[in-house]
Amino acid sequence: MIKINKNYLAGALAGVLVAGMAMGAMAAEIRIGITMRMVSENGQKYGQMVMDEFDMINKSGGINGNMIKATLMNDECKSDKGVANSVKLINQQKVHLLIGSSCSSVTLPIVDITAKAGVPHLVPHSTNSKITKKGSAWVFRVPVSGRYYAGVNAKYVGENVGKKIAYLCAADAASQNDCEAMQKQMKSQHGADPAYVAQVQEKEVDFRTHMQKIKTAGVDGIMIAALAETMARALIQSYEAGIPASVRRIGSSSASNSPVPNIAGDAAKGVFFAAAYAAADTRPVARLFNEMVKQRYGIPAPDHDFSQAYDLVRIAEIALGNAKLKLDSGSLAADRTAIRDAIANVKNYNGLGSGPISFCAAPTPQCRDGNRTAVLIAYKKGGKNYVTEVLARVTMPADFGL
Amino acid sequence: MAAVNSIFRSLSEFIDQLSAIHRMLPWLLAFGMLLPLPQILAAVFNDYYVYLANRICIFIMLSVGLNIVKGFCGQVTVGHVGLYAIGAVSAALISLHLGWSFWIAFPIGILVAGLAGVIVGLPSVRLEGAYLALATLGLGESVRIMIAVTPAFGSSTGLLSIPPPTIGSFTFDSFEKYYYLVMPAAMIGIYMSFSILRSATGRAFMAVREDTIAAAVHGINVVKHKLLAFVISALYAGAAGGLFAHMPPGYIHHNNFTIIEMVTLLMMVVLGGIGHIWGGIIGAIVVTVIYDQTLEFYFYQPLLFGLSMVLIVMFMPRGIGGLIDRYLVTRKFIAVQEEKADAAS
Repeated sequence: MIKINKNYLAGALAGVLVAGMAMGAMAAEIRIGITMRMVSENGQKYGQMVMDEFDMINKSGGINGNMIKATLMNDECKSDKGVANSVKLINQQKVHLLIGSSCSSVTLPIVDITAKAGVPHLVPHSTNSKITKKGSAWVFRVPVSGRYYAGVNAKYVGENVGKKIAYLCAADAASQNDCEAMQKQMKSQHGADPAYVAQVQEKEVDFRTHMQKIKTAGVDGIMIAALAETMARALIQSYEAGIPASVRRIGSSSASNSPVPNIAGDAAKGVFFAAAYAAADTRPVARLFNEMVKQRYGIPAPDHDFSQAYDLVRIAEIALGNAKLKLDSGSLAADRTAIRDAIANVKNYNGLGSGPISFCAAPTPQCRDGNRTAVLIAYKKGGKNYVTEVLARVTMPADFGL
Repeated sequence: MAAVNSIFRSLSEFIDQLSAIHRMLPWLLAFGMLLPLPQILAAVFNDYYVYLANRICIFIMLSVGLNIVKGFCGQVTVGHVGLYAIGAVSAALISLHLGWSFWIAFPIGILVAGLAGVIVGLPSVRLEGAYLALATLGLGESVRIMIAVTPAFGSSTGLLSIPPPTIGSFTFDSFEKYYYLVMPAAMIGIYMSFSILRSATGRAFMAVREDTIAAAVHGINVVKHKLLAFVISALYAGAAGGLFAHMPPGYIHHNNFTIIEMVTLLMMVVLGGIGHIWGGIIGAIVVTVIYDQTLEFYFYQPLLFGLSMVLIVMFMPRGIGGLIDRYLVTRKFIAVQEEKADAAS
């Protein structure tokens, strides 16, 4: 029979106890809820990338030793689903930080939910300018607001393309916002009224009638504000209608999404748009990012929704690292406030975005639309191996378009 | 099983006794039992479940309303979600643009939806079955498209900041408070549905469902009753829409009224049992809870729902309501047999 020394046994038990307590202390987790549009191929990849990046942070030791527990939910780009997800994440998962959504029409009601519950809210993709105009003290937008895009586009169009512009505006929130803002900016900057305006369905497939009318109107440019697949179809049909390449095609912010050059092929050549990231960016950080996205997700030239999702994770990482978190059972409200204040203190974050991202404490669009620099990009070549070039990079004043 | 039978029997007898005193008593008892639900849900679980309870109440109104036209009157409609949208947008616009109180906007929204119900019901005069389904589908989808392309109706941005209802200084601005609006509304809806079913109108609906020619021969105005079923059903949808629009955070968007929502609604009615009021209620609860519990498996959720629909139609065509019916009939049969045996001995 093996004799066990009582002292050794006591020591071992104490060791186990201490290790257990240490594990218990380490087990404190930062809970992050994510609600995104996980219905399209790219949408799933944006969401997956956010999850993968949080996973990488955990593998490298977490944030100040605390692990991140991220929960990703699909809102299908529907406001009621987004509201349900955010209510669930806030009340059931007790998240410290909420990320969402991809669609402006979903983010808009979520802003009210997070404001009421007192949960810091990072917006990954939504560009509708009304999001930050609601005056919530809890919302921070990583992407460039629609009001800045319009200013950059209108300036370039008025100076380089012409003032006779036709507009095809799809019925999704971001495209409507881009279309209206562009018309407003063309009027205020150049005194130009639209030569032709048509509202089309979000998933419209036939633009031929509009294209014929635009052709006869003899315009200088056509702005196609629509989601990626819809825009690609419209671009192809603009050439089928016989509108020459000399009539410049102007895209809304979703023109940066890879389905546009993939589907439109040669019709994408020459299309220019304002975005927050150019895959043609030659900075080492951008080249490394492009390579990472290509390897992990099979996208050769990532669009700005990828870069914004990546930048959002980095901003969250900085803020969570700086926030003094207790992460115990009674500190949820205090931890949420600390994270909010830490995000508001993020200044001049230089990531993949076209310019530095800074936030501040006041619940105003000037403070909460963190990225004010839009980059003007044109497709040099369409198809699977599309190529882009940077036409201009413009930083707008904080109160532009308000 | 014997224990379950015994509980059912006791409960049934208790309800019968209450009804014998006054027919409203069981309803008042149910209302009283449901009053503390938000506090219980918030204490045992969290506020999210109160939100779910509110959503369930709205879905109950929709499915009970749909059951009137589809289950009682046998009209195949796939445009119900369009009427829901009309109720929601009408009530929201009145509150937002005219600044009128919810208590005025809500009934006007219901009336507007009722009027739209006449338009949706008109094809039923000449069409039946799949053709009527197609016509109503077109009308329902037209409503959504109209909302999507009309800036005055919210267009792509949706209607924001729809004010919550108020009574004096009391505002229904939280899920818990809002429950006390949607729960009574759902209870009234269910009660009205039972009343309609037991009335001459309800019997006329069922006669039209079973055989329009035979119903006409017996002096039932088929056209009038078909239209009436559509209008009553539209009133329910309008009420559900108005309540949905004003529920915090007070936001509606045309994406809330797509064909997917219509299929989900049909799933509730089919699962619960077409033609069973309780079926619609059970369907609304079951589908909402299943949907919630499968949220994290979003890749497989549509597959799960589609497959469930096919399996229910194949193996449980009368839904959960049909199962309950079968149970009740069996119980009655056993009771009669027992009575006969007692009498013989």
